[in-house]
Amino acid sequence: MNRPSRFLSILASVVAVGCSGGDSEVDVALRAALLTSGPVSDAGWYAGAYDGLKLIESFLGAQVSHQQTRTPAEFDEAFLAYAADGYDLIFAHGFEYQDAAIRAGELFPNTTIIVSGGGRVAANVVPLIFRLEEGSYLAGMAAAGLSRTGIVGMVGGVAIPPAQGTFRAFEAGARAIDPEVRVLETFTGDWNDVAAAKEATVAQINRGADVIIHNVDAASFGVFQAVRESVAAGRTTWALGMNSDQNDVAPDVIVGSAVIRIPEAFVAVALAWQEGDVGGEAIYAGSNQQVVDFVINPALAHVVPLDLLERIDLSRTQIRSGELVVPRVAFVEGEVGVR
Amino acid sequence: MAKDVRARVGVGVVAVGATALIGAVLLWWGGYDPQVAAGAMFRGSFGSWNTFASITLVRSVPLILTGLAVSLAFRAGVWNIGAEGQLYAGAIAAVWVGLRGATLPALILVPAVLMAATLGGAAWAMVPALMRLRLGIGEVITTILMNFVGIYLAAYMVHGPLQESRGVFPQTDRLVEAARLPILVPSTRLHLGFALALLLAAGLAVLLRRSTFGFQLRAVGASPEAARVAGRIRTGRVVLASFLVSGGIAGIAGGVEISGLTYALYEGLSPGWGYTAIAVALLGALDPIGVVVAGVFFGALQAGAGAMQREAGVPAAWVGVVEASVILTVLALARLRAVGRRGGS
Amino acid sequence: MSEVLARLDGIERRFGSVVALDGADLILRAGEVHGLLGANGAGKTTLLNVIGGMLRPDAGTIEVGGSVVSFQTPREAWTCGIALAHQHFALVPAQSVLENLALGLARGWADPVRDVRAKALKLMDRIGLRVPLDSRVDHLGVGDKQRLEILKALLKNPRVLVLDEPTAVLAPNEISGLFALLRELAAEGRAVVLVAHKLDEVLMVADRLTVLRAGRTVLSTVPGDYEIPDLVRAMVGADPVDAIAIGVDVEPRSTKREPGESVAHLDRVSVTGGPGVDLEEVSLHVYRGQVVGVAGVEGNGQRSLALLLAGRVSATRGSVTLPEGLGFIPQDRSTEGLIAAFDLTDNVALALHRVAAYQDGPWLRWSELTRHAETIHERFEVQATSTSVLAGSLSGGNQQRVVVGRELSIATDLLIAENPTRGLDVAAAAFVHDEIRRLVATGVGVVLVSTDLDEVLALSDRVFAMTRGRLLEVDEGQRSREGVGALMLGGAFAHA
Repeated sequence: MNRPSRFLSILASVVAVGCSGGDSEVDVALRAALLTSGPVSDAGWYAGAYDGLKLIESFLGAQVSHQQTRTPAEFDEAFLAYAADGYDLIFAHGFEYQDAAIRAGELFPNTTIIVSGGGRVAANVVPLIFRLEEGSYLAGMAAAGLSRTGIVGMVGGVAIPPAQGTFRAFEAGARAIDPEVRVLETFTGDWNDVAAAKEATVAQINRGADVIIHNVDAASFGVFQAVRESVAAGRTTWALGMNSDQNDVAPDVIVGSAVIRIPEAFVAVALAWQEGDVGGEAIYAGSNQQVVDFVINPALAHVVPLDLLERIDLSRTQIRSGELVVPRVAFVEGEVGVR
Repeated sequence: MAKDVRARVGVGVVAVGATALIGAVLLWWGGYDPQVAAGAMFRGSFGSWNTFASITLVRSVPLILTGLAVSLAFRAGVWNIGAEGQLYAGAIAAVWVGLRGATLPALILVPAVLMAATLGGAAWAMVPALMRLRLGIGEVITTILMNFVGIYLAAYMVHGPLQESRGVFPQTDRLVEAARLPILVPSTRLHLGFALALLLAAGLAVLLRRSTFGFQLRAVGASPEAARVAGRIRTGRVVLASFLVSGGIAGIAGGVEISGLTYALYEGLSPGWGYTAIAVALLGALDPIGVVVAGVFFGALQAGAGAMQREAGVPAAWVGVVEASVILTVLALARLRAVGRRGGS
Repeated sequence: MSEVLARLDGIERRFGSVVALDGADLILRAGEVHGLLGANGAGKTTLLNVIGGMLRPDAGTIEVGGSVVSFQTPREAWTCGIALAHQHFALVPAQSVLENLALGLARGWADPVRDVRAKALKLMDRIGLRVPLDSRVDHLGVGDKQRLEILKALLKNPRVLVLDEPTAVLAPNEISGLFALLRELAAEGRAVVLVAHKLDEVLMVADRLTVLRAGRTVLSTVPGDYEIPDLVRAMVGADPVDAIAIGVDVEPRSTKREPGESVAHLDRVSVTGGPGVDLEEVSLHVYRGQVVGVAGVEGNGQRSLALLLAGRVSATRGSVTLPEGLGFIPQDRSTEGLIAAFDLTDNVALALHRVAAYQDGPWLRWSELTRHAETIHERFEVQATSTSVLAGSLSGGNQQRVVVGRELSIATDLLIAENPTRGLDVAAAAFVHDEIRRLVATGVGVVLVSTDLDEVLALSDRVFAMTRGRLLEVDEGQRSREGVGALMLGGAFAHA
């Protein structure tokens, strides 16, 4: 039961070192692979994972490889190919890999598979759960504080529990600022469909929403584009980023991002694995571990009122100390949710 | 004869050479080492028996099955572009029966699952068939539209009525052992579906060549006018039957994928096999045996493409470009060869 | 001797391994109607396409007006004053007659259609060929399409007019009208080249003749100096066997064969909504051992009648009694009778696969079918190396031999033959006629539906004319070209 604390301490050291990377004293004793079901050029969820893989390569001197896979049949195949090739650690970046991971885990007991957002656990199959709700809650506070219309919007991809969880937390954060706030919610059914996301965003803006957060992958470009066009049409409209620090993607409209520091989390997992501390139970990473946060875009910091910034800071501290418990959906076997 | 064989081998060598050259130029242009990529491609598809059986052949199963479905329809003059939707319909039916019949023994449940897949695919094909026969609406459009309906129906099913009992993830519960196809070759992933695809191909070859229905199907496809006037064939019935058989086979592809490999229904089950099937069918010259060969070729190509990502670090998009240009080259060369043969006779 | 307008010398043309022209010569002079004769596959159409600029020769020279030319396109041939009316119509189906006429005449940005209408009306008045100018081409009958094709060529006001089989689908009075026109055009100092499958028609109008055989010019006559048997021998390389096919010495049958029992019966049958013109209240008995001939201008319901008797369409009203052993020779062998992409065995199976003797449960008895196809191949002297040759690679005559052979073999009670010799050469047509005669002698009932009046008169025991969907029996006394022709045309004009 001392694993989480060991993991924590390792993580702290990673975050301290940051991305400086470089001089690994560790031998090339690790081979790590990454599977994504979308392009790593999405400037978000997959990009973060790819950066994590690159960080493991430079920071731990590991040999790394990546494959983009589309179908469940391909998931099996990729696990099999990597495991048979002797890879130690496979990051499968999405819940969709969980069944294939369990199958491959049974066949290759010497390979450890980390499933981001997964729900199934085995000795060598470990869900890595990001407490993105904690960042999303803070984003919700920012949204309600910035809104002039009292209406804020959320555009999602596939309505899976982790995504719905972030939206529940966003809603709770918004209500903490403005109990009367209206929150619109749309799921397009596709993480990467830019056009669908844009359409959904336009629809929400037309219904009065003036701050929009998303939880999609490559489709986020559609959300930002729609907000930009709204601004160009003379409306004051803001966007919020999600998953990774997207403040630079559209610095003119993104006020802040609810971020998962996926790269740091990946390196921490790899280090913990080298210590023999990974296996048999899910790894949780949230704002307490500094993996999840809400980051204000410096270029737009002036539009956020000071008192709002202060309230967000206060809530962040309360979440870290456990004083404030953010709602979350449980989806790992045996986990307990919070409403 | 000897001259003919030599000519064919010559054409084959030219085809492989041209394909390799185009692929190499594309990779070099993208800044990747063609030699490393080619090595990865070969190792990923034919590198070892296990790779060949577990990856190449496993990938070829849905391609062969949908390729058979498309080629049969095309032989009958039915432009079924809807194998993708029929595959999803088959997969939905298969998983439904597999989950409902969880208490049945394997000897009953597996055939029931495959039968359900067949009926699901056939039902999906029935809609465009009737729209063509009763309303005169061309099947190219309707089958394509039915693809979207099938894909979204599968998405709806895994979010709604067929979602796993925990109600968390968009997927169905996993099939019980008794609903799964047995592994064909121990210690590989190669499942019974491959044998099924081969049997089906052999069966269709015999059907087309020897049976009354196969003959009528070919006649209607080659000339509906002559089939009706000289053959007194009821072309409408033959078209309907071809539609249903084609859809049924595409449905089996979906059922086999579920029952042999994934054991559950997910969104995005197929990467577009129903469309690749058209290239498979054309490359296989619409002949069942040719489709098997073409299906394995495409399976190897996709398996090698995966390895190119893993081992040579070529990104997925670039691999897709190389893959597509290989397919285009092979199709063009196959076509040239067919034209050359006709001109020479 | 008058001026030479065009001279083709030693023309050669291959299609793959097939030699279509192998040293063909043709000289066209001003003021002549030149008949081009030859059996099917002799190279007539290929030679015409070379003149018209549709095909480029592999070897040989073309001289027009004394200078050597090489046409890259049909348009270049027009500018040299050569216009071609095709046998297989080169028309745009989805456009109107007028638009088809205007096609290719357009110059610059001017709207050609208005101008063409006036010209076309004037031309039609002058030559007596009428086509509805505003109809869509795909709604026209075969006859109208042929008229249009001729008008199209004439509108270009050519010095050399080339007509490929223009008479096959025209009514007798139209043929004589066309021939008068050709003479007139020749008298104006033009040259007219005419291909017709019936020798007597060509002789009626042509002053000089060139005979092609196997792609080579084998005979070239001066006006008035030839013997018919010589011509026929030059064409087929052997003595002719059938007078009908070459159109000489045709006499209507005078002696009737004795009728046997009724083998097919139509009782006040109407067909509506079928292909072509509807049938109205048609009644007919077909007796064993007799030929029923049905004549008529294309588009008066013969198509529906033939399909009805062949069991291919069903009656809207009235009762139809048909026998089991029924053979059908459809008018278009290449699209309805055969499948070009199938080999001979498959094509034989096309009609036989429904016969129980060739079935074995869900399977076909292919060895039996192959044997049957081989029998037809031999007995009907189909010019093909084996029964696995694709039907599409055979000449028209050989295709028809396959169709006739196949249908005769299943016509144990009744044979329906629809224009069975259209487009066939002398030998092939004679063969078909002989086979029909032989079949009738075995007690089979035959219905011969044909636009070839001579054929109907010469083979039939009873003669009917079709006009506007009705079937009229021709009295014994009226059995002549003129008599039946008048009946047919009466209907046709009333229709128009």
